[in-house]
Amino acid sequence: MNLPLLLTLLLGGLAALDATPVAQTMLAQPLVTGTLLAAIWGDWRVALETAIVLQLLAASTVPIGARTPADYATGGVVGVGTAVALAAGRPFSFTQDACAMLGVMSGLIAALLGSAVLRWQRRLNEGLARWCESRLRAGEPRALGEAHRAAVVLAFALGVGFSAACLGVAIAGLDRLAGGESLRLARAWRLAQPLWLGFGLAQILHLFVQRRLSRVAVFGAALIAAWLVLVVGSP
Amino acid sequence: MASVSRSDLRRVAARTWLLQATWNYERQQGLGWAWCLAPVLERLYADPGRRQQRLAEHTAFFNTQPTLASLALGAVANLEEQQARAAEPAYDGVARVKMVLGSALAALGDRLLWFTLRPFAACLGVLFALGGSWTGALALWVCYNAVHLTLRARGVAWGYRLGPAVLGQGLRERLERLISLLSEFGAALVGVVVAALLVPGGEPQSLTFQVTLAGGLALGLVAAQHARPSPTHLALGAGGLCLVAAWFR
Repeated sequence: MNLPLLLTLLLGGLAALDATPVAQTMLAQPLVTGTLLAAIWGDWRVALETAIVLQLLAASTVPIGARTPADYATGGVVGVGTAVALAAGRPFSFTQDACAMLGVMSGLIAALLGSAVLRWQRRLNEGLARWCESRLRAGEPRALGEAHRAAVVLAFALGVGFSAACLGVAIAGLDRLAGGESLRLARAWRLAQPLWLGFGLAQILHLFVQRRLSRVAVFGAALIAAWLVLVVGSP
Repeated sequence: MASVSRSDLRRVAARTWLLQATWNYERQQGLGWAWCLAPVLERLYADPGRRQQRLAEHTAFFNTQPTLASLALGAVANLEEQQARAAEPAYDGVARVKMVLGSALAALGDRLLWFTLRPFAACLGVLFALGGSWTGALALWVCYNAVHLTLRARGVAWGYRLGPAVLGQGLRERLERLISLLSEFGAALVGVVVAALLVPGGEPQSLTFQVTLAGGLALGLVAAQHARPSPTHLALGAGGLCLVAAWFR
């Protein structure tokens, strides 16, 4: 197995850990994992274009209460990993756009499937918790540490395993499509990229505005001011 | 009677990193909560039987926003210390305070961390990354963790010092102000990102790009009013439609 692919799978495991079980430092966010994958694979354009779209779609997906939202931690690694792996050895701009399109679609599907994997992992944790409680009541306080170690190992293993399965299927299944239908896929990317960016930004704007007209005005004023600065200020 | 030391509180703060490691649908953060509080219980209860009983009771159902859980852990450590010293400990009171603090911190923490700071950091990161730079990821990570890691590292000591009053008017007002400020700046930041997408480097994008971006914004605002279908399903559907449109054009 080649080193970049191995590091991608390792990152899938680390992202699965950071998302919920350990620390939650946002290392699992698609923009962060996408940037790391860009450095690993040496393809900044495809990796960042894919990561930005997935990041904006992920930003408003929140893990509140007992909800199990779409798993953008693994989705980000799978999406960007698929895009850069397919784009490797394909230097033309339109083939790279095609790979980004396939990457985002793979990432979204992996995020949705990942939600089911997370639910399964949490069911397994229920068994672990019951075992731990029975050991605690029997006078074995060490069981608490052992349960936590087991849960971390389980989350990492599921992250690596699920990333490997998704990347394997996506790369093997889409490689021929990326080469043979790159013109159509690149055309689809030119349509889908702004649509996804706008969709993600609108979801975020909704979180900030919260039905306050003053914040809509702030958004509008900032948009016009930044547009003027960019248009008038550029040489 | 032993009292909780600074090093105990530091150990609790370090353990909050694994608060959600065993998250499950039955007890949610219950087991993680007991794991975090274990150093304090070890210090306070010399009798192994009583210590294990307290530890087992702390595995009960608990859930709150994981970053602000540090404050609740500190406050409960304070209460446990008081009860360990009391001639007739009232552990029901500890459980009640724990539940009330958990709910109040979840309500505040979800708004601060999940609904405001996380999207704000994401927007900031995207703005930097649009130019193809690695600094976007760094900006996202630093912006979020400046608040998250500070609360994680110091929250336990704050909670211990203030006890159940930790979420009194002072802290609540400061956090509410932070939410309001971040929301105002966040709305402005989204405007700047949209402008940067429309005229990257001063060169306007094609009309198709601009119209599709506006379409995406409109679709997103409509979708945000409804819980179902989820944004991810809608985004996948929109991508599928774009593929169909490109295939049969």
